[in-house]
Amino acid sequence: MATADLAKTTILSKPKNNVRRIVVGVLFLVVAVVIWLGFVRELPDGLINTYVMTPSASDSYFPNWVFPTEIALNIIAGICTIMGAYQLARGFGRFSNLMIGLAAGLLIFSFLSWASSGGSINLAGLLRVMVVRAVPLTLGALSGVLCERAGVVNIAIEGMMLMSAFVSTVFGSLTNIWGGLLAGILAGTLMGYIHAILSIKYKINQIISGTFINIFATGMTSFLSSRFIQKVGYQHLNEPGMFPVIQIPVLYKIPFIGPILFGHNMYVYAMFIFVALLTFLLYKTRWGLRLRSVGEHPRAADTLGINVIKTRYMAVLLGGAMAGFAGTYFTLGSVGRFDEMMTAGRGFIGLAAMIFGNWNPLGSMGAGMLFGFFDSLSTKLSILRVAVPYEFIGMAPYLATMIVLAGVVGKGQMPAADGTPYEKESL
Amino acid sequence: MSKKMLVVVSVLVLAAMVLSSCAPKAVAPGGKTYKFCEVTDVGGIDDKSFNALGWAGMEAMKNKYSNVEVKYLESQQQSDYEVNINAFIAEKCDLIVSVGFLLADATMAAAKANPDVNFAIIDNNTDPTITNLRGNYSNIAEATFLAGYLSAGMSTTGKVGTYVGILFPATQAFMDGYAMGVAKYNEVHGTAVEVLGWDMAAQEGLATGNFESTDDGRKMAETLMDEGADIIMPVAGPVGIGSLAVMAERGSGLLIGVDQDWAVTQASSANFVLASALKKIDVFVVDSCEAVMNGTFKGGEDYALTLANGGVGLGISSTWESKIPADLKAEVEALIPQIIAGEIAVMPTR
Repeated sequence: MATADLAKTTILSKPKNNVRRIVVGVLFLVVAVVIWLGFVRELPDGLINTYVMTPSASDSYFPNWVFPTEIALNIIAGICTIMGAYQLARGFGRFSNLMIGLAAGLLIFSFLSWASSGGSINLAGLLRVMVVRAVPLTLGALSGVLCERAGVVNIAIEGMMLMSAFVSTVFGSLTNIWGGLLAGILAGTLMGYIHAILSIKYKINQIISGTFINIFATGMTSFLSSRFIQKVGYQHLNEPGMFPVIQIPVLYKIPFIGPILFGHNMYVYAMFIFVALLTFLLYKTRWGLRLRSVGEHPRAADTLGINVIKTRYMAVLLGGAMAGFAGTYFTLGSVGRFDEMMTAGRGFIGLAAMIFGNWNPLGSMGAGMLFGFFDSLSTKLSILRVAVPYEFIGMAPYLATMIVLAGVVGKGQMPAADGTPYEKESL
Repeated sequence: MSKKMLVVVSVLVLAAMVLSSCAPKAVAPGGKTYKFCEVTDVGGIDDKSFNALGWAGMEAMKNKYSNVEVKYLESQQQSDYEVNINAFIAEKCDLIVSVGFLLADATMAAAKANPDVNFAIIDNNTDPTITNLRGNYSNIAEATFLAGYLSAGMSTTGKVGTYVGILFPATQAFMDGYAMGVAKYNEVHGTAVEVLGWDMAAQEGLATGNFESTDDGRKMAETLMDEGADIIMPVAGPVGIGSLAVMAERGSGLLIGVDQDWAVTQASSANFVLASALKKIDVFVVDSCEAVMNGTFKGGEDYALTLANGGVGLGISSTWESKIPADLKAEVEALIPQIIAGEIAVMPTR
């Protein structure tokens, strides 16, 4: 019986793999055709592309990358054709996802080269903005990872961030910037505590509890902001200052990469550190195993002597603290003051980044970076006057992120007990 | 003795103050005392913005005429709008000025219900069927034209930038005027200063898609500066503050403020504000009050704030006032009468 089942699945999976192989192969060929017909044919002769490899206001210098557009695009289209042919004939096997990513990258590169042909575009600046844009999304997503890995859905990231942004501004103005940072983290933790009490202790639907926090934070901060800190007499409460840019000594001097990765304020570095730290803690320590087991199968964890309720409380409090830290980015890391609704939905995109990143820290950062890239790219395209209405350009980051992640990454694996309150069976 | 002396002195000082404040003032026609009343939105009377500017217009009236009384009520929340307007109706104000589009619905409803009371609304249009409500609009392109000309002259990179929150006719006018001003500079000087972020022919440009996300303002400034722009005009409300933060952080770049004087509202970064394209709402308030006194007040139509009536203008920040080359400043000033006379078009012909 078991062997028959096995045989059946092997037989069934074989043609399925073939279909996928052919579809992907055709996709590569389509990319090649698009580059040829869409971009190369429309180009006037002799155009040159200039990619600036140093962001503005950077004291390091890396020479510009200059190449003839037509030849480069022809080569890229050729590569795509070869990839398509190989895929149709043999298949890339387990590298095929990587190859899809490569083809997508080549397509974007061709599009960008076509759009900027005859002119210049600052490639280093594009990537630098990508990194900065990924920061609040990734930090927000990490907050989600902490909560949801322990089985508590957190759609309140946005509200927690907004509240923290407000609190950090006021306390940062009253004390100093570190006081503001601490107060923001505490405000996030407090919001996490409310979420924990509602959803763990009182077992309220976690979506409702999260929505409550979002609405509460929006209303509260808008009210306090318009009544107090936006008014003239109180403006000293809206001047917390900002964390300075720190250039990492040796690394900043690396050509091209240096200014993109190592010339930011502390939030960018904190993002990398937190991603590494959380990856290690979640997957390599006893603490992480316990946290994840509570999110996957709380009853089994309970049987093994893990305190489910306590673990969930801890996870949600830490998640709140992380969202609080993310919220301070908007005030202490981005503009140095608070304005109503300034988080502008970034918490929700962070939540989406967490889902696309398959509930793990590194994946979340990848999704955040991807969104940041398309966000930055769409701004560049607007400046290049690509004849696309701005509403569509504004949509592009969301669309592209969805397509890439749904198409390439595929189905995610949600923690099994995510969203279900834990009830101990009474004896 | 000393105590008595003090009393005498204080009485004298008081008398001096009272007398000096009674400096010759005009007496408004009609021989009665006029009462002009302002209802603010939740921003409060001293918001350095339209509420404050409206009140400045009111105070100008009080200082100009002896028989004028002015009052205001601050709205603390949305439900106050109607309450405050009704309070002023009960007080029999000769003109009720409400501030901003937040009060538009409440003001229109009150105007319809009280056809014998005069209303004026700041920074909003009226409805032609409401004959006792006067609105206003501004030819802001006349001011951003001057800003564009100045930016083109001040740019060291030969590129200036602009972006918008959400694109609609009112915001397009800012960018059109700006781009026309840059084009005028190029025409006069034979230069090729570029405007990044606004395509006048296609009426498309760089947009954040919102008026809230200050972090988007940071992204816009970083991207525009990466592409070489050194002067940026954000038309996106508070989002522009994010751009100003980038300039302050880098110690380079200049900003053109819009609507209010950003060198005043963003005082801590005033060094990076070159100038602001101003909407001077107080001009509208004074004009409306005087129309009431002269019996010429007419609702159902919108007052135009223009360069000609001083309703819009270019406010150069005090930091930069002395640093702008004298001949450039003279050129900008020489443009003003030409724009007023209609010799220079500030908007593209369509």
